[in-house]
Amino acid sequence: MRAPGAPAGPGFLRGALAVAAKDLRLEWRTLEALSAMALFSLIVLVVFNFAFDLSTVRRLGAARLVPGVLWITFSFSGIVGFARSFQIERRRDSLTALLLAPVDRGALFAGKALANLAALLALEALVLPLSAVFFDYDLLAVLGPMLLVVGLHTIGLAELGTLFAAVAARVGRGEALLATLLFPAASPVLIAAVRCTSAVLDGSDLASASRWMLVTAGFDGLFFFVALLTFEHVLED
Amino acid sequence: MKAAGRLPCPALLLATAALMPAALWMAFVYAPEEKVMGPVQRIFYFHVPSAAVTFASVLVLAVASVAHLTTRRRIWDHVALAATEIGLVFCTIVLVTGPIWAKSAWGAWWTWEARLTTTLVLWLLLAAILMVRGYAESREQAARLAAVLGIVAALDVPIVYKAVDWWRGQHPVVFGRGREAALAPGMLVAFLFCLVVFFLLYASLLCLRVRLLDLRERARDLSDLLGER
Repeated sequence: MRAPGAPAGPGFLRGALAVAAKDLRLEWRTLEALSAMALFSLIVLVVFNFAFDLSTVRRLGAARLVPGVLWITFSFSGIVGFARSFQIERRRDSLTALLLAPVDRGALFAGKALANLAALLALEALVLPLSAVFFDYDLLAVLGPMLLVVGLHTIGLAELGTLFAAVAARVGRGEALLATLLFPAASPVLIAAVRCTSAVLDGSDLASASRWMLVTAGFDGLFFFVALLTFEHVLED
Repeated sequence: MKAAGRLPCPALLLATAALMPAALWMAFVYAPEEKVMGPVQRIFYFHVPSAAVTFASVLVLAVASVAHLTTRRRIWDHVALAATEIGLVFCTIVLVTGPIWAKSAWGAWWTWEARLTTTLVLWLLLAAILMVRGYAESREQAARLAAVLGIVAALDVPIVYKAVDWWRGQHPVVFGRGREAALAPGMLVAFLFCLVVFFLLYASLLCLRVRLLDLRERARDLSDLLGER
């Protein structure tokens, strides 16, 4: 949407990184979103412990219950974070300033999504050990595959979450609308995430879940490009 | 804008009105009674065509959404809105008739099988798109956001289907599969007839809705014009 003859801004990658760095710097100084997400996910974990007590978890085995608990916690706290990432722009109308920047709209999306991804990954680094304590499973034994699985599926959540959070912010709504949009649309990622996490906790080879990893990789790639192409229409006034 | 005025709505409506009673007769009288399931199987003649129409409507939504974002013509937004609304209606018909049949044939109202789950996810997506339209601050914004969501929803549906299919595929579901393959000739004729009639019904509703949206738009433009003078 850049006007013809306007000076060329920074390239796509530099633009995206600048936006992500701005968001993360802002977050680092206040820790507003991360602290909200962390407290929220702690509460979700505790509620799950009320819902299924430890004896149920031990009887069913961690691989049956923990994947669902983890991904519900991740996606709910993700929604809290994604919604905030556009609400802070709305508060002082800084989105207008962001739109004036001579970068591609796709780069704005990539930057926002990258910052959201980093925030959610930071939260997951906190929640994973906590869940190991609360649900009594050995995280260290499966750390490598677990990180891979969590990282891959978080990308998909962060992408669609960022696109939908922008849509929700545009119409002046928050988490409720975001959840309504994100959960049905991200259901393939959530199914794949639970299957893969379950395979990891079962101690089985990751190759057994390779089909699901491929689904997610395809989903991540497809919706990244869809979001890149459509983001300008979401932001347009 | 004038394109909507030339739509063949009356002809479509007339054809639908003439053929719908015949479709009812085909489904309830002409088609032979299924031996095992009995009369409840007849719901199939309306259930499956409704599902076909629902997914066709998603295709219409996707095409209209892309067309709106690239051309920015209002007529495409009207088509997208009509496809979302009417798709949601037919999706609801699928979700209501399905469990009625399933309770009698499978013994359970619901199962998380691929087709059922996908239809439910689609229903949620279509409803969410209408919600966003309702919240939007202007018609232009509603059109743009709904178009973006329409594209995402249409791309999502096949992935959801495949994912749930694999997910449940590992716990085989014994019922439901291959039912259509064993249709008696009389059943097949009735089914195909109902399918055609349902598509005609869909086309007439779509046509009327687009026409109505177009007229409303023109009335609004006119009143804006009068207000300025």
